[in-house]
Amino acid sequence: MEKPATRLDIRQADGRTAVIDIRGDVTAASESALMSAYEEAAQQGARRLVLNFSGLEYMNSGGIGMLVTMLVRANRHNRQLAAFGLSEHYREIFELTRLDEAITIYDDEQSALAGPAGQGRAS
Amino acid sequence: MSTIAHPAPRRLASFALASVPGNERVALDQVAASVATLNVAPDRLNRLKTAVAEATMNAIEHGNGGRPDLAVDIEVLQSGADVVVTITDHGGRDDEGWSEDQAEIPDLARKLEGQQDPRGWGLFLIRHMVDALDVTTDGEYRTVRLTIQIGPAPQGPVSGTCVPGAP
Repeated sequence: MEKPATRLDIRQADGRTAVIDIRGDVTAASESALMSAYEEAAQQGARRLVLNFSGLEYMNSGGIGMLVTMLVRANRHNRQLAAFGLSEHYREIFELTRLDEAITIYDDEQSALAGPAGQGRAS
Repeated sequence: MSTIAHPAPRRLASFALASVPGNERVALDQVAASVATLNVAPDRLNRLKTAVAEATMNAIEHGNGGRPDLAVDIEVLQSGADVVVTITDHGGRDDEGWSEDQAEIPDLARKLEGQQDPRGWGLFLIRHMVDALDVTTDGEYRTVRLTIQIGPAPQGPVSGTCVPGAP
């Protein structure tokens, strides 16, 4: 059976924070999976969603658009997005698109879960 | 007066892909394989792969309208210190296909405020990933030409009279 291009797992870090582990691709075709993951985390009470990109294989402009869509939804519901596990190349793309100003980028999961007190990577 | 002769461009790869979503992954993999012996720095290679994927996606979706019967033609050349990738589709008529001059500049703040569609990052990424971008049309075909520098320009053979350092 062919594995889906986007594979997401949600796990609770604490009562207010959920980690979404991303494996595979993030493209326009990921919309359903990403939004379902967002909704599942929200229903579990998460106010802060941490996106784990350690397993990301490929992301294109369509995937960037999906992250923006997720951001719009998070802003509307007063939820925060953070991320870790991005390669240097995708960090560069986050900086070019200014996504890093809306989604705090961390070097690792520990600092991401520590939250703003743990400080993201300085730009 | 001296003249530096630049070596003729060397074709590294030439292939065609059906205009099927997902084939941009095939394009970037084949382009990456074609430059494997050139020792392109990893960061530049990643930028080239992203630019190729985005340009191929545009060719598939906009230039060829997603029609599997229309091919995207891709050629990879080495020209001195440059790698040049051309992506050709059937969107060469002025009123068809994707026009980079008309594309809206994506602005994240405006997108978050709902003033722009969340999508529309493709051309923006391409422009920031390559050293030169050229688009030409001939009435039937559109060719996007991506140029990325991979190292210092090699010194070709000097022809004519060369007087280096002469006052």
